Amino acid sequence: MSTPVRDDELHAWLDGQLPAQRRAEVEDWLRAHPRDAERVEGWRRDAAALRTALAGQPLPDAPGLAPHAIRRRVAARRQARFGMAAALVLSLGCGSLLGWQARGRQEANANPPMADAVAAYRLFAEDGTPLAFDGGGHAALQDWLRVHFGKAGAIPDLASQGYALAGGRLLSTPEGPAAMLVYRNAADARIALYLRPRTARLAQPGERRDGRLLAQYWVEGGTAFALVGPATEAALRRLAPLLRGSA
Amino acid sequence: MDEHEERELQALLPALRRFARSLCADAADADDLVQATLERALSAWRGRRDQAALQPWLFSILYRRFLDERRRAARWGRLRALFAGQAADQPELAPSPERVHAGREQLAAFARLPAEQRAVLLLVAVEGFGYREAAETLGVPIGTVMSRLSRARERLHAFDEGQRPAAPALRILK
Repeated sequence: MSTPVRDDELHAWLDGQLPAQRRAEVEDWLRAHPRDAERVEGWRRDAAALRTALAGQPLPDAPGLAPHAIRRRVAARRQARFGMAAALVLSLGCGSLLGWQARGRQEANANPPMADAVAAYRLFAEDGTPLAFDGGGHAALQDWLRVHFGKAGAIPDLASQGYALAGGRLLSTPEGPAAMLVYRNAADARIALYLRPRTARLAQPGERRDGRLLAQYWVEGGTAFALVGPATEAALRRLAPLLRGSA
Repeated sequence: MDEHEERELQALLPALRRFARSLCADAADADDLVQATLERALSAWRGRRDQAALQPWLFSILYRRFLDERRRAARWGRLRALFAGQAADQPELAPSPERVHAGREQLAAFARLPAEQRAVLLLVAVEGFGYREAAETLGVPIGTVMSRLSRARERLHAFDEGQRPAAPALRILK
């Protein structure tokens, strides 16, 4: 008599996964062991019922899933990504130009930390440029931030300091996705919290004057933050430690 | 992708959607999962290693995505729970009302299996994957496929037994 048949061999027999020799032995076994035969038959019945039930489940038309529709979307996304890259080049270009002009007498070759945050502030926050996410777009902005920054992407609430979120702007940088959150107080002073993936270079928190702007920056986990605003805004120095604690 | 491959992809679509539905509680979620899978597949089309096996490849992309999303959802659930100060509620896909009301006890029982077991059972018993192919698709060892399969079958059968009409509660007493 052959070796006793194990349970996994019963399954393998049912699924046609046994070598021919063993298959015959299992069949002999099943003939001699009606209880096992009954179990295997039960599994077979279950599988047949499941197949029938699944086949009977209606699959509504989904034109969005057709290969050509998918292909179109993939192509569109690629194009959008290209567009974003182009916009990045443009905004970095503008940013560095503005930065260079503003720095004036400062040495032109220095590459100060979080210069992109200052550039972004000048481009989008300083003179009331419309922001991509304003009004009802906060939830979408928050979702985007969560996706790219996880826990660090929580939008801070600065109401207690007299600042309300005016909007946000998504950017792309060589380090990865970036976002700028612009806050406004009752006197229409604008400050911006900028975040993007950190670089190895930026380890120490610090602050720096750039023209009439003050940038304070620090790192939390994998994310670099910068709080940028007019250097005359006394609240800036009070806010940065608060944000650092909450982020 | 040539015309032949496009037809092949089109032909696999129902199976792919069924696989997604066997994993997700909600049909709309399932189609979202299929859409994400196809987008990923089309972007990676040229880099595909094995030209022969389109179905296992697509299924494995879908399954990986499903696990990723579930992991993310679980993480958020835990985080939410942390803030809300209550236990994370992550019910193992309860059978949706439509499934139960459609009278498809089989599907209801199937939906009560853990997702990993549903995936194995669907691949092997419905789509006819071999054990090795199923193992590669799901990214687990072959022994895991076999143990999940056997647990899935036992549990499914136990549910079915429970569903059968019980013996009449009232008996004539003499």
